[in-house]
Amino acid sequence: MGSATIWGLRFEWISVEDKSCIHNFVSGSSSGRRISQFRRRNEMSTRCDASRQHLWLKPKFLEATAIYVREPREQHYYETYSWFAKIHEVVRSPLPFLTNSSPSKFGILLCVAIVVLVTAVRAFVVRKSRYKRPGSVADLVRRGQLRYDSRGISKPLKYDDPFNNPLVKVSNSKSTVEMCGKLYRLAPVTLTEEQQAIHQRRRSRAYRWKRPTMFLKEGDSLPPDVDPDSIRWIPANHPFATTAADIDENLAQTNVYQKRGVPSRIQAEHEALHRKLEALENEQTLNRLTIDPTNGQDFESPLKSHINSNAQAEKRSINNQVSDPDKVESSSASEEKPGL
Amino acid sequence: MLGLKLPTASASSPSFPRNTLNSTPAFLSNNFFSPICINVKPLKPKSKSYSTSLVKASLQWNRKPQLAGETPRVVVITSGKGGVGKTTTTANIGLSLARLDFSVVAIDADVGLRNLDLLLGLENRVNYTVIEVLNGDCRLDQALVRDKRWSNFELLCISKPRSKLPIGFGGKALVWLVDALKSRQEGSPDFILIDCPAGIDAGFITAITPANEAVLVTTPDITSLRDADRVTGLLECDGIRDIKMIVNRVRTDMIKGEDMMSVLDVQEMLGLPLLGVIPDDAEVIRSTNRGYPLVLNKPPTLAGLAFEQAAWRLVEQDSMQAVMVEEEPKRGFFSFLGWS
Repeated sequence: MGSATIWGLRFEWISVEDKSCIHNFVSGSSSGRRISQFRRRNEMSTRCDASRQHLWLKPKFLEATAIYVREPREQHYYETYSWFAKIHEVVRSPLPFLTNSSPSKFGILLCVAIVVLVTAVRAFVVRKSRYKRPGSVADLVRRGQLRYDSRGISKPLKYDDPFNNPLVKVSNSKSTVEMCGKLYRLAPVTLTEEQQAIHQRRRSRAYRWKRPTMFLKEGDSLPPDVDPDSIRWIPANHPFATTAADIDENLAQTNVYQKRGVPSRIQAEHEALHRKLEALENEQTLNRLTIDPTNGQDFESPLKSHINSNAQAEKRSINNQVSDPDKVESSSASEEKPGL
Repeated sequence: MLGLKLPTASASSPSFPRNTLNSTPAFLSNNFFSPICINVKPLKPKSKSYSTSLVKASLQWNRKPQLAGETPRVVVITSGKGGVGKTTTTANIGLSLARLDFSVVAIDADVGLRNLDLLLGLENRVNYTVIEVLNGDCRLDQALVRDKRWSNFELLCISKPRSKLPIGFGGKALVWLVDALKSRQEGSPDFILIDCPAGIDAGFITAITPANEAVLVTTPDITSLRDADRVTGLLECDGIRDIKMIVNRVRTDMIKGEDMMSVLDVQEMLGLPLLGVIPDDAEVIRSTNRGYPLVLNKPPTLAGLAFEQAAWRLVEQDSMQAVMVEEEPKRGFFSFLGWS
């Protein structure tokens, strides 16, 4: 904006000079009549340009104009120009050198510098506001939602040696080290191999332990030919203890070592399903004319079958309740019969 | 408060004991921060005016830790007490190793209470677990969740939340898994990290069964230390001799005020070599909630750097030779006069 204003000012100055030559006229003539004639002739254009003239007209020029004004009609122009003068006083150009007839090189360079500076500041502000925009990728990276390492915009670390990098500096005497801006004193480790061996012996005496190879729930019976030291008794409510090992150990080992192909359980389930389908198809070929609806129940989920069985049970109970009076009646009748 | 390597029996530091734990490999030269002899000029830490571009150029992927031991290295990350940072350590060391270009499989062996997937931000991608593999519902490669940030990192969960593992199956199942991972088509992973559940129950026994080495995570408080000592004893009884410890949540200000045991005190009590010292850092909670491990933070945090250093030592089967015990008081303007 600033640049536009500055260049706008300059443009006005040049254009007015070329078009009307008021400046030359005033300086070259001493006749007020000629001024008034000129103004009458160019009344419309002057009025049109009135809003612009405050940009280039000097107060001195306006005062000079006022001296030469004699006619009442020209009084109006005098007032108009004095009004312009007032506006010009208020809105005085911040760069007075621009109003000079021959602007200096310094002024032009200063304008260019200001334009460049303003553009740079604007670009910087726009870029900064882009990073602050909520929800942008940069914002997500800043908030830790996105990992810039995985997006190809990361920069490698500036060092690969944790002992020797700009953040770790050791003094020449090797008695101090500065890490992340903090200075520390270095003290040598005094643990000797003898001391280490002493500690090992102490621990071997204090903690006699053998790694258990068998885990048993508390309350289980001890299997024969098993070293009691190798058994780990686990509380009955321990997560390990409450899980039933329904998988074969050999099969589990094979599963772990399997490198390619379909996993064993998936394969087994698939084969079982396939066999079931084949069996169904065989049955259907045998009973082509009649379709047994009970065959489809095998594929229903256990929950569904459970619901069905519940529904059937309810039906039965309802039927029983409905049929109870008859039964009672019949039973009572049967009971009564012997009496009769 | 972080730990660093110090040169073994350094001539420049005569105060160092001669018979300290010198399990340092042969490649550890006199240079303080360049254990691998690659033509890399070490930075001069004192010089403030070094060029940043020079640092980038000299440190970008030109140093890697030298992998020691046979692959796959099966490391169990354990502690007696719960809530000391086992899962955080597993996530951060695992991703640090992956960043160092080692293939890593992290196994969450916490049956029914798994959390490693949350820390890694992979919770929405876990469809199958080891339970499904054992049951034959899927293959092992389908249960492995590959991290998109570092494709050489994979996660394997033992079970879904609230599900249970069959009794006595756990240890064997993990041994089968490790064997199956060794014989993978794409090659054996370099590291198998097992996140152990708290306690010394069946879950602990399951987790340590296939392990060759252990990382004991502890905090500098007496409850954690007692449990850590017990667990170390059990691990040693089980035949796991390569045990290193990580002291987590260390606060230098409290140590300075003698309100917390120092790392050297902890080491004196347990007699274990130090793999790392992790400072108490609010970023740990933030990264946990975000599902974005600390070691991927940019810029790196103090705790993240400490995890990276621990991962580096784990690769090289190295241990800390010096620890940073307290903050050096900042020198004031009149320090040359003897005033602080």
